[in-house]
Amino acid sequence: MLRWLRSIAIGSAGLAAVVGALLYATPLAAQSSAAPLETTDETGRHVAIPQPVRRIVSLAPSITETLYALGAQDRLVGVTDYSDYPPEAKQKPNIGGSINPNLEQLVALKPDLVVATRALNRRETVDALARLGFAVYATDERTVEGVLVSTERLADVIGAHERGAELVAGLRERLAELKRALEGRAPRRVLFVVWHDPLISIGRETFLADALRWAGAKSVINSSQDWPRLSLEEVVRLQPEYLVFADSHAEQGALNFEALRERPGWRNLDAVRGRRIAIISDAVNRPCPRLVDAIEQLARQLHPEAFPQKSENGKQECASCAR
Amino acid sequence: MISSVAQQGAADTARRGSAEIALSVEQASYAYSASARQAPTFTLEATSFHARQREIVAILGPNASGKSTLLRLVAGTLAPLSGRVQLDGFEISRLDTRTRAQRVAMVQQESPLIFPVRAWEYVLQGRHPYGRTLRFETDEDCGIAMNALAQVGAEHLRDRCMDKISGGEKQRVILARALAQQPLLLLLDEPTLHLDIGAQVDLLERLRHLAEENRYMVAVVTHELNLAAEFADRVVLLHRGKCLRVGSAAEVYQQELLEQVFEAPLAVEQTASGRPRVVVRGKNTQ
Amino acid sequence: MRPVTLRRVLWTCSALAAVLLVVVVLALKLGAVPISVTDLALSLGRVAIGRSDQLPSEYSVIVFGLRWPRIVLGILVGAALSVAGTGFQALLRNPLADPYVLGVSSGAALGAIISLIASPQFPLVTPLAAFLGAALTIAAVYLLGQREGQLDSGTLLLAGIISASFLSAVIMFLMTTLAGRDLRGMAFWLMGDLSTPLPAGLRWIFLAGLLGAVAAIYTTAADLNLLIAGEREALHLGVDVTRVKLVVYISASVLTGLAVSVSGAIGYVGLLVPHVMRLLFGSDHRLLIPTAALGGAIAVVLADTLARTIVAPTELPVGAMTAMAGAPFFIYLLRRNLP
Repeated sequence: MLRWLRSIAIGSAGLAAVVGALLYATPLAAQSSAAPLETTDETGRHVAIPQPVRRIVSLAPSITETLYALGAQDRLVGVTDYSDYPPEAKQKPNIGGSINPNLEQLVALKPDLVVATRALNRRETVDALARLGFAVYATDERTVEGVLVSTERLADVIGAHERGAELVAGLRERLAELKRALEGRAPRRVLFVVWHDPLISIGRETFLADALRWAGAKSVINSSQDWPRLSLEEVVRLQPEYLVFADSHAEQGALNFEALRERPGWRNLDAVRGRRIAIISDAVNRPCPRLVDAIEQLARQLHPEAFPQKSENGKQECASCAR
Repeated sequence: MISSVAQQGAADTARRGSAEIALSVEQASYAYSASARQAPTFTLEATSFHARQREIVAILGPNASGKSTLLRLVAGTLAPLSGRVQLDGFEISRLDTRTRAQRVAMVQQESPLIFPVRAWEYVLQGRHPYGRTLRFETDEDCGIAMNALAQVGAEHLRDRCMDKISGGEKQRVILARALAQQPLLLLLDEPTLHLDIGAQVDLLERLRHLAEENRYMVAVVTHELNLAAEFADRVVLLHRGKCLRVGSAAEVYQQELLEQVFEAPLAVEQTASGRPRVVVRGKNTQ
Repeated sequence: MRPVTLRRVLWTCSALAAVLLVVVVLALKLGAVPISVTDLALSLGRVAIGRSDQLPSEYSVIVFGLRWPRIVLGILVGAALSVAGTGFQALLRNPLADPYVLGVSSGAALGAIISLIASPQFPLVTPLAAFLGAALTIAAVYLLGQREGQLDSGTLLLAGIISASFLSAVIMFLMTTLAGRDLRGMAFWLMGDLSTPLPAGLRWIFLAGLLGAVAAIYTTAADLNLLIAGEREALHLGVDVTRVKLVVYISASVLTGLAVSVSGAIGYVGLLVPHVMRLLFGSDHRLLIPTAALGGAIAVVLADTLARTIVAPTELPVGAMTAMAGAPFFIYLLRRNLP
């Protein structure tokens, strides 16, 4: 009897091992469709995108926004946390954070295309999805122009070429106009405050730094790190002309600023004493079409004399948002 | 390696039954900090003594006299700097650990146990030198272990945890483990240290009985002068690394010698059994 | 008197293997996306008879593409960490010894980070670099842990703790000063992450290393029983103490290095599982080592399943789960067994 049981135990263990080996080695069923679109994404990866693209999952809030701007929201089947613009995006199925999306839920959504961005998503996520046979297109926006090109390319990839071209042309025109208005004016020296405690600003290779340049500003910080942590003394030494904050509500920004003025160290900044602050929409934090709005907003606050006929407060215009 | 072990094992079996096996320590010395450049400071200077089967040798001396060093030389964990320490003609320190454990068993104060161990498990460890690499104990091993427990009168402690029994009982179990090794030579390091007088006497009597019955050679390190006198066939007296005298208790226990070694006012008397007894000389006697 | 016999080892292991099987089935079934047991059984059946193309695509991807690799990795990593922990505890005669106390995980993490910085385009290099980091740390701690030419337990523990602190500081330094872009994933990996399966080339190396190291430790099982009683005693009982220590230390370190290099720092497994197994089955290493391996596999797979279902869709790191569940459980066990 005992020998019997032992045999059964060993037998089932062996069977489990065999099944396990099979499963481990099983290739997964590929998604078949019409001839896929072969392309290279912005991180140099080769991607084969099934056509037509009917179901899209976005792995970053900026991607979600861009997709809405391209009119592709009906094809958007899944988003990650903080996909809050436009507000309708909050109704879309959520699969978790950008850094750690739940792959099971993503898979269950059966997307034709997953769009990621190098700025926010992990390489491991992209690799895992590629391994499972999904088409993952990754963007990598480093400059403002890069954002525009990225938008165009994404439009091509999802089959919204005309809309994309139209959108980007409009944005390019606005930027050109901005450039004309600011011609000959010296850029303001600014400190872009990502967070005040600890004090974090932006590095020179971020698209934010480029956005500042377009707005007629220049970051006083010249760091190769993307999000350098600074000491207040360093900033006092540099004495930026303006402090720039990003915030969705201008009023809330002003409130925080009052509290900030009282703090030691901040008082020593000319910009603080002279109340030379600029508050712009936090669209500036996202590499998507709305970025241009934020740039225009900042340009107006830093160089008011260049735009005599426009209104002065920080209300954002959302020319590129779908309604 | 394997064939020499087999050879030794065969020679072993042949010898055990018949001729006399001896422990011979000849001019053995040791120094802990020996370097090539300077002359070493000796922890133990040239010492010699012999022991035969069924004999109990007591290694006596005050603290720091080199007793522990001598014991470790005999146990084979130290190799002598000069001289020889041989058991049955084989240099003990050159034997491989397994063979050595089959011939020499040590009873010493044990390190504190971290995980609970039962007495029978503990004694069964004594069979380790006889097993292959990945072995499980056989019935024969269990029999030998139980027998060892019986020989020390600790069968009833078999299922008790080692950390729950008294000092004297623990000492007996440790002895049982040594017996389970079926050695030729039994070494004991201050076995009476934490025992009351009753347990001390009990232990030494058993020792003598076991030595007689199983033909062990026994070497005991102690500083209990009177117990040594009562139970030892031979005494090795050490003082500051030097071996001052080897002989029977009567020969070694001389008043001037003892007073010099132990630095205390002592007197030697004779008991009814003919063995010497050492007493403290009071202020009033001379 | 009941000494451990081969039969008892096989029986206990079979029982634990059965528990593991149940846990695996549970883990395949549970997750952010609900899959019924019938669907699961049908899927497994189809694969077993070679008809994998008939599976509904999203189920096959979820169960076999996502969950199954995690489970396999969890089994291997859990077994590796538990056996390593058992080895270290016997070696150092200290029930609190653990692969992480000895700084090995920090070394592995540092290796991984350096490889990510130096060559981010070759993700295959990372596990190798992590293993190298672990190996170098082991060598350094081993050398530092010597006293008078001998491996000394207390000095070893100290050397390990100091190495762990130093290496963690270096890691922090690198992560704050260098561009954070591609190292974002590091923070996750450092907390334990089973979601990245082994690159195909490393699979067999990993398996071979794991089995080899466990086998090596198992050959010293009987010696370890004696070593625990004390090194002097073990020496007098015929144990080649130096050789045993070396074998165990190297094998346990190999196991830790392998585990950490693929799954990051999953803590408490090497500490708790051997302890639980000891409480259940006794301290004899001939039984303890295989049961610890199986117990570790069960623990990690359970922890991982919990980690990805408790607050779905968010996935908690496995290391956080083992810590949260492990610590209170340990306290409970301690209290229950106090005299």
